[in-house]
Amino acid sequence: MRVLFFAHLKDVTGCAATELDCGEVDAEGLWAALLRRYPGLQPYRATVRLACNARYAGPQTRFGPSDEVALIPPVSGG
Amino acid sequence: MQIHVHLTHERLEGLPTLSSPSGPVGARVEFVGIVRDQEDGRTIAALEYEAYQPMAEREIERLLSELQPRHPCLSVQVLHRLGVVPVGEAAIIVRIFAAHRREAFELLARFMDRLKEDVPIWKRRSWTRTELAAQGDHNQAAPG
Repeated sequence: MRVLFFAHLKDVTGCAATELDCGEVDAEGLWAALLRRYPGLQPYRATVRLACNARYAGPQTRFGPSDEVALIPPVSGG
Repeated sequence: MQIHVHLTHERLEGLPTLSSPSGPVGARVEFVGIVRDQEDGRTIAALEYEAYQPMAEREIERLLSELQPRHPCLSVQVLHRLGVVPVGEAAIIVRIFAAHRREAFELLARFMDRLKEDVPIWKRRSWTRTELAAQGDHNQAAPG
């Protein structure tokens, strides 16, 4: 799956996007895979929301290989 | 309710305004959010915005559709600027046409609150005049 990072998370990971090969997973599985690759994300986990294909993920959302996943830190538009 | 959303790197003040919709228009409310010269206690020259653009546009439309039944209006235009926005220029413009002022003001207030909670747009960083000038010099020096 393609994973997108925004705002300060780009500084944490050093990239705006990456490919993650973790099969089909729930949010817990996704975070486990993300933190293996980017341990620096750990302090931000509590405030980051997950999106799947440009929609906020819910508790039941599963993330698959063809999905575009985004990590959404607290927003500050307007 | 007609909804028009546009996220752009262009200057918002130069973009066309929404024409009056058909229907019983009795109020037109416009909000312009302007970049201040103070951010986190320092004097700045610009703010830089970034967005997850497809989701931001979708979320704005979703929020307005969700708010519409309680605050029925005729049309809404939302413009949000991305990239470096100089102090004094608009970062966001919201224009609402409604039958009565109350619905328009209420929709505007609720929408702006929700935008700041849910729409994936970020103030990426602030720029001082010196930093902007240095960035300009850097860009000019960069090979084409």
